[in-house]
Amino acid sequence: MSITMTKKTKRSIFCWLALSPIICIILFPFAVMFFTSLKPRQEVFSFPPTWLPSEFIWQNYIDMWHATKFGNALLNSLYVSFSATLITLLVAIPAAYALARYNFGAKSSYRLFLLITQMLSPIVLVVGLFRLIVWLGLIDSVNSLVLIYAGFNIAFAIWMLQNYFHTIPKDLEESAWMEGASFLQGLTKVFLPMAVPAIAVTAMFTFINSWNEFVLALTVLRTEENYTLPIQVYSLVGGRYTVEWHHVMAAALVASLPAAILFSWLQKKLVTGLSSGGVK
Amino acid sequence: MKYLSTSLKSLATGVSLAVLGTTLSLSVQAAEEVRFTVAYYSAKTGPYYEALAEKFEKSNPEIDIKIEVVNWDVLNQKLTTDISSDVNADMAIIGTRWLVDYVEQDVAEPLDGLISEEMKQRFVPAFLSPGTLNGKVYGLPVAASARAMYYNKDLMQKAGASVPTTWDQLVDSAAKISKIDKTYGFGLQGKEVETDVYFYYGMWSEGGSLLKKDGSSNLASSASVANAKRLQSMIENGLTQPGVTSYNREDVQNLFKQGRVGMMITAPFLVNQIKDEAPDLNYGIAPIPSGTSRATYGVTDSVVLFKNSKHKQAAVKFMDFMFTTEQRAVFSSGEGFLPVLKSVSELPEFAENDAVKTFVNLLPEARFAPTIAGWSEVADITSNAVQAIYGGADAQSTLDKAQKRVNRVLGK
Amino acid sequence: MNRNLPLYLILPSLLLALFVISYPLYELINLSLSDVNRFGKVRGFIGLENFTYIFEDQLFIDAALRTVVWTVAVVGGTILFSVPIAVILNTEFYGRGIARTILMLPWAISLPMTAIVWRWSLNGEFGMLNATLMNVGLIDSPIVWLAQSATAFPVQIGLGILVSIPFTITIFLGGLSSIPIDLYEAAKMDGANLWQQFKRITYPLLRPFINMAIVLNVIYVFNSFPIIWVLTQGGPNNETDILVTYLYKQAFSFGHIGQASAVSIVMFTVLLIFTIFYARMVMKNEK
Repeated sequence: MSITMTKKTKRSIFCWLALSPIICIILFPFAVMFFTSLKPRQEVFSFPPTWLPSEFIWQNYIDMWHATKFGNALLNSLYVSFSATLITLLVAIPAAYALARYNFGAKSSYRLFLLITQMLSPIVLVVGLFRLIVWLGLIDSVNSLVLIYAGFNIAFAIWMLQNYFHTIPKDLEESAWMEGASFLQGLTKVFLPMAVPAIAVTAMFTFINSWNEFVLALTVLRTEENYTLPIQVYSLVGGRYTVEWHHVMAAALVASLPAAILFSWLQKKLVTGLSSGGVK
Repeated sequence: MKYLSTSLKSLATGVSLAVLGTTLSLSVQAAEEVRFTVAYYSAKTGPYYEALAEKFEKSNPEIDIKIEVVNWDVLNQKLTTDISSDVNADMAIIGTRWLVDYVEQDVAEPLDGLISEEMKQRFVPAFLSPGTLNGKVYGLPVAASARAMYYNKDLMQKAGASVPTTWDQLVDSAAKISKIDKTYGFGLQGKEVETDVYFYYGMWSEGGSLLKKDGSSNLASSASVANAKRLQSMIENGLTQPGVTSYNREDVQNLFKQGRVGMMITAPFLVNQIKDEAPDLNYGIAPIPSGTSRATYGVTDSVVLFKNSKHKQAAVKFMDFMFTTEQRAVFSSGEGFLPVLKSVSELPEFAENDAVKTFVNLLPEARFAPTIAGWSEVADITSNAVQAIYGGADAQSTLDKAQKRVNRVLGK
Repeated sequence: MNRNLPLYLILPSLLLALFVISYPLYELINLSLSDVNRFGKVRGFIGLENFTYIFEDQLFIDAALRTVVWTVAVVGGTILFSVPIAVILNTEFYGRGIARTILMLPWAISLPMTAIVWRWSLNGEFGMLNATLMNVGLIDSPIVWLAQSATAFPVQIGLGILVSIPFTITIFLGGLSSIPIDLYEAAKMDGANLWQQFKRITYPLLRPFINMAIVLNVIYVFNSFPIIWVLTQGGPNNETDILVTYLYKQAFSFGHIGQASAVSIVMFTVLLIFTIFYARMVMKNEK
């Protein structure tokens, strides 16, 4: 027993040593955000720069919240990401079910179509997308983002879901139907509960993609009250006569923390979700 | 519903969306809504215009002014894309240098018939003229500035340098100041908006110009090459801050506020920033050094009215209110711009202000961006060439190449 | 059972995808063949003129070549780093949960934010990167990282790798967890060392996951905009421009809607070829 313990200890030391360079690089920006955000304004540009502020100005966070209209941007981002995720799931689940359970004529061509949509990103189509949004009369509206994010996430969502659906035995819902359950009942009562893990992971991916999207939001949104978080923070940096870096860093940190916490919490689920999705 | 069916039909026929946009016109509302796109100058800009709109609405309850604040680096892009789709605001602040594109494509409304002669007379003529094309007024100057040289008095004294009046003296003073530890003689901008302008100062003072008489680019003139070589050697000899191509104007200004550079050329609004952020900085303002001739860069931003606006009368009414002495004085002093109204420039706050006087005195020799279509692309090409030169590329061949590219844009 | 049921089930997703992706694509094809003014008004059909314009533009050619370097370097680097990291994270050690969480962090911050924070950190005078490197003694004098492409572009590639690692190791961890432990035990019995175990068991079984990671990352990286845009906007002197930044500038800074659409179509074609090529390769391997 004691021998295996020391073995594990040794291994742990080795593993941490091997990971330490990348961990330093990953944590570096967080440290920069944290310490810069707490510096007094005039100290941000002190030379040579120092890590620690001379005094910790927690007030910066309160000032930032008001100066950058952070709460508003946060709500916009949450609204866009949740709505896009919801729409994606609503259309992707039935499609994935169809692809996983039935053989039908258009199946392979639909797969090919999905593959093509999968490889495009909003930036490649940005000029066309802009015209689409104009046509819909949705310029400067977060709803245009919801629609387009959902559209761009469909392919990946269907692909993830259908791979997982394959692993759920068909007999389950079939026996429910045999016992007289309606088609919908069989699905919602028997099949969907089994699929929850895959749906959760898919939702997570869609949410992150929407949460992080930049180009389209930059192009479509016009007024500050409609900005999502990335655009709000970017607008503090781009094209201004003065940049309040301590506010920018505070905003970036506050914007990153919720997602970071969510991630650390769901990190195991992500891995199992992707692996059970299988690779085909 | 009607617009949806119209839209679908148009999709089928493949009619361009620009046409479609016209079906999206705003529905009639109780109060007449005038949308006004405002450029972001500082944190004060938004609140200033909101307050202005509120005051106006009080006396004009039938008009509702909606302010949209947009950052400079995306402003032109947003306006052009919005116009392309007919979803643009009624009026907007634009860089006057873009105006010719707007006029050529027939999207800006001439104001002559809409505003009174009295209103036209309110403006300082030098600032009204850049917004006048083909004899018609399209843009009313909303912010005006010129460029001058800021210098750090303490550093000058410490280094035993004198305030330069020629570029040779500037190089000399920069060399002296650079000897002080952690200090750079001349702050040189090398990134983002106005990188090209920072290059023109020296080019103009050598007698160079942007365009030849035939309207083609004059970027590779001997004056331009001489200026390029001078700046290059300043960089090589460490008379500027290191890594100039990663410094935009704000970055250089920050160095100046920190007392880390001896001299830099920039706009009047730095005065206000220094007042707020570095009140102890001991600095002075002088004309840009001269060579064979002297010059500064004059910039105005203009308010334009768009042709497709359905609320032109209301918009003009708001302009009339906006360009009154009281309202403009608040803006000019708040943002640190030069007064655009004659009446404002006569106020003691401006007339007896040394910094403002320095800038105003430079105006007779100010050059404005030429009124040519595609100016932003020309500026971008020039900025890139300038960056290459600052990075050590051969001046003559780089400018030759850039000149060719500019001529391609100009169609020469 | 209704024969059309599967079609009904896929219909909503098909409609949404068609609407959001196919229609803009159709618009782009139209625009790329048209003379369009900067306000988006179409002035007529001009054939392939927009395409000849961009192919005669040295900046476009440079950006295209740089996109290849960018994609290969970022994806290659990502895979190279992610495989060993995933293998380490798959072994049992103290604090593994914490290590996994930390390595996921770059994924949690949106790309533009990451890029903004790094832009500040890379500042020549006030940035913490120079300060730290000088404290540690790795450099003597500050480096202005973003002032020349020789340092800016590698930094951008490094950043690209950093933000791609979390997604990639997530895929690999999934793959590794599906490898039965008995295989390793059997190999150990045969006296295989760690490297041999990796070569004979881990690598071959991870191969499909690596392929998937390559494809997905190539798509993401080829299309990636925020890192380069926020750090340098393709400068200085256009020397860090890639196709997406070139495209964005043509469309929204210079108002060349037609040329920008042509760039879009070229990019679309490249992605299409890549996808077909990859699909073929996979099928061959499976045979």
